[in-house]
Amino acid sequence: MFQFNYVKAKSLSDAQALIAANPDAKLLSGGMTLIPTLKQRLAQPSHLVDIGGLSELRGIEVKDGQLVIGAATRHYEVASSAVVKKALPALASLAYLIGDPQVRNRGTLGGSIANNDPAADYPAAVLALDATIVTNKREIAAGNFFQGMFATALEEGEIVVRVRFNIPPRAAYEKFAHPASGYAMAGVFVADGAAGLRVAVTGAASGVFRWSEAEQALTKKLSPEVLEGLPLDLTNMNEDIHATREYRANLARVMTKRALVKMLAGK
Amino acid sequence: MTKIELTVNGTKHSREVEDRTLLVDVLRDQLRLTGTHIGCDTSQCGCCTVHIDGRAVKSCTVLAVQADGTDIVTIEGLSNGDQLHPVQQSFTDCHALQCGFCTPGMIMAISAFLKDNPQPTDEEIYHGLEGNLCRCTGYINIVKAVKRSAELMK
Amino acid sequence: MSQSQPANRREDLRLITGRGRYTADVNLTGQLHAAFLRADRAHAQIVSINAEPALRQPGVVAVFTGADAIDAGYTQFPNLMSFAGRNGAQILKPERPVLATTAVRYVGETIAMVVAESALAAQDAIDAIEIDYRDLSAVVTVTDALAAGAPQLHENVPGNLCFEWETGDARAVEEAFAKAAHITRLKVLTTRVAPSPLEPRGSLVSYDAASESYDIYTPSQGMMMLRKQFAMLTGVPEEKLRVHTNDVGGSFGQRSGVYPEHGALMIAAKKLGRPVKWVGSRADGFMSDAHGRGIEIAGQLALDSAGEFIAARYDFLCDMGAYLTPTGSISHLRNPATLMTGVYKIPALYGAFKVVLTNTVPIAAYRGAGRPDIAYAIERLVDRAADELKIERSELRRRNFIPADAFPYKTPTVGVYEPSDFAGCLEQALTTADWRGFEARRVAAKGRGKLRGIGLSTIIEATGAGVFPKDQVAIEVDAAGKLTVYTVSMSSGQGHETTFTSVVADTLGLPHAMVTLRECDPARELIGNHTGGSRSMAGVGSVCKVAADKLIEQAKPLAAEELELEPSQVDYAGGEFKSRDGEKTISFVQLAQKLAGRDPHPMNTLAEATVGSTWPNGCHIAEVEIDPDTGVTEIASYVAVDDCGTVINHQIVEGQVHGGVTQGAGQMFQEEVIYDRASGQLLTGSFMDYGMPRAGLVRDINVGDHPVPSKLNAIGAKGVGESGCTASLPALANAMTDALRPAGVGHLDMPYTPSKVWHSIQAAKINPSK
Repeated sequence: MFQFNYVKAKSLSDAQALIAANPDAKLLSGGMTLIPTLKQRLAQPSHLVDIGGLSELRGIEVKDGQLVIGAATRHYEVASSAVVKKALPALASLAYLIGDPQVRNRGTLGGSIANNDPAADYPAAVLALDATIVTNKREIAAGNFFQGMFATALEEGEIVVRVRFNIPPRAAYEKFAHPASGYAMAGVFVADGAAGLRVAVTGAASGVFRWSEAEQALTKKLSPEVLEGLPLDLTNMNEDIHATREYRANLARVMTKRALVKMLAGK
Repeated sequence: MTKIELTVNGTKHSREVEDRTLLVDVLRDQLRLTGTHIGCDTSQCGCCTVHIDGRAVKSCTVLAVQADGTDIVTIEGLSNGDQLHPVQQSFTDCHALQCGFCTPGMIMAISAFLKDNPQPTDEEIYHGLEGNLCRCTGYINIVKAVKRSAELMK
Repeated sequence: MSQSQPANRREDLRLITGRGRYTADVNLTGQLHAAFLRADRAHAQIVSINAEPALRQPGVVAVFTGADAIDAGYTQFPNLMSFAGRNGAQILKPERPVLATTAVRYVGETIAMVVAESALAAQDAIDAIEIDYRDLSAVVTVTDALAAGAPQLHENVPGNLCFEWETGDARAVEEAFAKAAHITRLKVLTTRVAPSPLEPRGSLVSYDAASESYDIYTPSQGMMMLRKQFAMLTGVPEEKLRVHTNDVGGSFGQRSGVYPEHGALMIAAKKLGRPVKWVGSRADGFMSDAHGRGIEIAGQLALDSAGEFIAARYDFLCDMGAYLTPTGSISHLRNPATLMTGVYKIPALYGAFKVVLTNTVPIAAYRGAGRPDIAYAIERLVDRAADELKIERSELRRRNFIPADAFPYKTPTVGVYEPSDFAGCLEQALTTADWRGFEARRVAAKGRGKLRGIGLSTIIEATGAGVFPKDQVAIEVDAAGKLTVYTVSMSSGQGHETTFTSVVADTLGLPHAMVTLRECDPARELIGNHTGGSRSMAGVGSVCKVAADKLIEQAKPLAAEELELEPSQVDYAGGEFKSRDGEKTISFVQLAQKLAGRDPHPMNTLAEATVGSTWPNGCHIAEVEIDPDTGVTEIASYVAVDDCGTVINHQIVEGQVHGGVTQGAGQMFQEEVIYDRASGQLLTGSFMDYGMPRAGLVRDINVGDHPVPSKLNAIGAKGVGESGCTASLPALANAMTDALRPAGVGHLDMPYTPSKVWHSIQAAKINPSK
C-alpha cells in the first residue's frame, strides 16, 4: 500500500467537506474491494474518508411501501434482517450469496453499488427492482445509475446515502459463483412487480443489464420455457480464461430460468 | 501516524500506527499474536480471520485505524484458560488439521458462524466455509468438526 | 507391535491455540527486511539497472542486484539429475544467478532486493528502482518452445531442449506393435498447477562473522537436503550452515528445493552484518514458487486378440519452466519411467523423454511428482482400450494385472515390485462402490436431467528412495526416563510427532506421552532424507522402530547389571526388563533414572537403515454427476482403497488420502496455471483467478485400507502421502469420460471446468465423438 491519510468522518456533511477539500481522497465504507486494491498498489488516494460508521448511512426500514436500506448497511445485516426477509426475501438471499461470511460482515450496500464491479451481486437487484439511489445531492433512478464496468452516474464528491427498493409481490435471485473469486459469473434477479416483469443480469457482461427480450417474452407468458432460444446479445459478454462469452450467455439464460422457477414456486 | 486503542483478548492496547497499517500486522508484529496468519493478499484464504465485536473478519482487509475502539478476539484468546473452545476441541478430535496454518482462521470463522447458525446443514456449512482455504485436509474432516462443534455447543 | 490409535495428534494443541511457530513468526534482534523486484515480463534482456533512487528512499539500507550475485558466485543452482541422456549427454544446466544479471526469463524472476528497516519501507522502495529492458519474444508451451525458430531462452540450451532420454526396449516394442491385434492411442496432458501450500514462502537469515556461519530460518521438508543445496548453490561448507525449521504450513514438494531468495538473503545478511527477513506474499508465490506437473504424454498401448497388453510406448514432453529446479527434472523422468508398466504385466515398454525450457516459473516436484502423470496416462489408455474393444473396464484390468505369484516382479524398465494384491484392492473397491449396481444410478440421474458416470483407477507408486544413502534416528533418554526422538525429516502436516513417537513408544511398551519428537534440530546432525515421495513413514518411521529395538538391546546389559543377571537372561516386554523366570524386574523408567548420572546417558541410541523405494498401490473409484445445463460436475461418491502397507495410524492415513484426492480433484476440475501465449504474462496470479479447492468440492471419501505389509522396512509401511493425487486424476477423468460418453463427448484434457464441459456437450450435439 502507498501512504495515505485516514480520516473518520463524523457526519455526512463532514465526509462531504473532506472529499471536497481533497480531490484525491477516496471514500471508505466496508473496504472489501478498496483495501485489496490498495494492497496491490492499484490506487494511490491521498486520503481515505471512512463513512462506514456513520449512523446516517445505516438502517433498514419499510417506508411508504419501499424497502429503504442505508448505504453503510453491511451485507450480513441485510441477509439476516427480519424486515428484509419479510418484505423482500429475494434481496436477503442475494445478500447471503455475496462473497463469503467475513466479507458479508464488512462489505456494504453503498460500497458495492458505487464500485459497480461488473460481477457484483447488488446491481442486479437494484436494477431489477427499479430502485432509487439517494445520494447527498440527489436521487438517481437505477436505470440511469449503472454506466458500464466500474462506472456509475456518481459525480465527484457524491456519496450514496441510501437505496430505496420497490417491493414487488414476488422476486428471486440465482447466482452462478466463480469457483475462485466467488463473484457472479452470472447472477440474475427476476422481479414481478408493479412496473412489470424485470430480468436483470450481473456478472455475465461488462456491466449489469436488463435482458429485455426475456422481459418481453415473459410478460406474454410467465414460464421458463419461453427463454429457450431467446436472443441474448453476446457483444458485451465477458470472455476470459474462466469462461467464453457463449458460456456466460448460457449461464445467464440458465440462471434466469432457475430464478424464475424459484420465484414462481414462491421460495 | 494515528493513535488507536484496541481491546484484544480482553486486554486494552494503545498503539501509534501508520494509517496504512493492516490490523493483522498490528496483531502479529506489535502485539506478537502470531497465531493469526497471512496466507494471501486478496482476501481469499481466511487465515487471518479474527473476531471484531463478535463477528468474523479478515484482519488483512481491515485497516488498524478502522478497528480503533473495537473489541477483538484472536485464536490466542478463544479458549477459556486451559478449557479449549468447542471448535478447537472438535478440530483435534476430528483430525481437522494437518499443517495447521489455516487452522486458526478456520476456527475463528467457524466459531463465529455457529453463533449465527447453531445447527447448520451440510450446504450451510460449505457456504459458511467459503471464506477459508485449506490445502491439506480436503475439508472433509473440517466439515465433521463443524458438526461436532455444533453438538458440543448444544 | 501394537497398532495404537491415539485419538488426537500430539502436534494439535499448539496449532489450534495459535502457538504454532511458522517461519514468519520468527524474529531476530536487529533484523532488517527485504523485498524483491521481480520481472514484470516473460522474456527480456536487462539493458541497465539503476538502484540509486531506491537507496535514497526512507529506511532503505541497501539494494542488491545481479552484480552482487555474480560477486558472490551464486549463479548455479543444484540439479539432482543422476543419469546421462541420449548418447551419454548430460543435462544442460542453464546458469541462474540468484538475482538476474543479463536477462529475465519468466514473470516473477528476482532482479533486485531492497533491504530496509521495515518491510513496508523495503516494499515502497522497490518501485524506485529503474530498469531498462529490451523485450524478447516469449514461449510458454513446450510445443512453442520446440518449434523451429522459437525464441531461445539460454545460449547453452539449443532449441530450448535441455535433455533427451529414452528408456526401455524400443525394438521389442516395435515388434510387439507390429503384431498387435489392437493399438489404443491417446495423448494426455497433466496441466501445470501451483502447489500453493498456505504458508507463504519466506526466510530469515543471519550471519555470524566470527564463525563465518549462517543461520537460515526457512520452511523446509527436511534440513539435510536443503542444507546440501544451500552449500551447492553458495559454496559455503555444510557445517557452516544451520537450517532452522519449526512448523511448516504445507509443502507438497514445493519446499524441497533452494530458491533464489535464500541465496540473496545470505548475501545481504553477510554484507550488512544484521539478520535479514523476507516474507513473501501470495502474489510472489504464484509467480515464483515452483509449479508442478506440466507433462504431455502421448501413449500407445498394444493388445493381442485376447485383450492382453503386449507393449506400451510413451512419448513425454516435460515442461521445466525457465530454469532447472533441484528436483523437477529427475522426478519427472525417473518416477514415470519406473512406473510405465503400472500394475500390469506389459512385456515390452519404451519411453522417450524431452525436457524443455519455457518462459514460465520453474517446475519442481509436486505431490506425486511424475507418478500421477504416468498413472493418468496408463489408466486413461486402459479405459479407452476397454471402450474400443468392448471389454468391461474392471475385467480388462483384472486380465492384465501382475499376478500375485509374480512378486517380486522385475518390471521391464527399472523397478522391482514388492508383493501386492492388485486384484484384492480392485475387488474391495468395486464392492464398496457398488460398481455393478451403477447402471441403475445412471438411469436415475438421467431422469433428473443429469449425466452420471463412474470411473476407476488401479495404480502403483514407487516411493522416494531418498538422496542420502541412509536415514538415521537418534533417541535420547533423560534423567526422568523420558525419551526424545531426533530425525532430520520434516513434517508439514503429516503428523510425525504423533506417528513416529507412537512407533517408538509402542515398541518400548511405554505411554506415548513419554516420547517426544524433535525434527530438524540444527544442533543434532544426522544423515537422513527429507519428507517427500511418500517416504517418511517407511523411510524414517521404520528407523524409529529400528532405533527403539536397538535401544532395548543396548539397555539389556545395563539392566542385567542392575538385576545381577547375565545379559542373555534378560527379556524386555511391556516397559520392563525382567529375568527369564520373571522373578526380577526393573522398569524402563527405573533403569533410566538409575543411570541418569552418566553423561551421555548410556541408553541413548543412534540407529540407521537404508530404505529404498516401497510400492504403495490401490484402487480408487469415482462417481460423478454433470449438470449439462451449466457443465458443473458434482463428485457423487468416492471410494479409495489403498495398500499403503502396515497402517500405523488410520486417522492420519485417511487425512492424507482426503487431502491428496482433493488436490487431485482441484487439478481435475478447477486448478490450472495459465500464461498468455503471446505475452507470457501469468493470468492466474492470485486466489481470485486460481481455483483452489473449497469445502464441498469433495464431500466424502470412503477410505478403505487393504494392507499388504512391506518386507522392505522394519514396520511394513509402504507410504500414503501421494496416492490420493496419483489415483484420483485417472479415476475422476475416467468417470468424467464415462459420464460424457452418452452425450457424444470423447476425451477432454483436464481441467473439466464448467465452461469446457458445457462447450464440449454443445459441440457434440452437432458433431458427436464416435
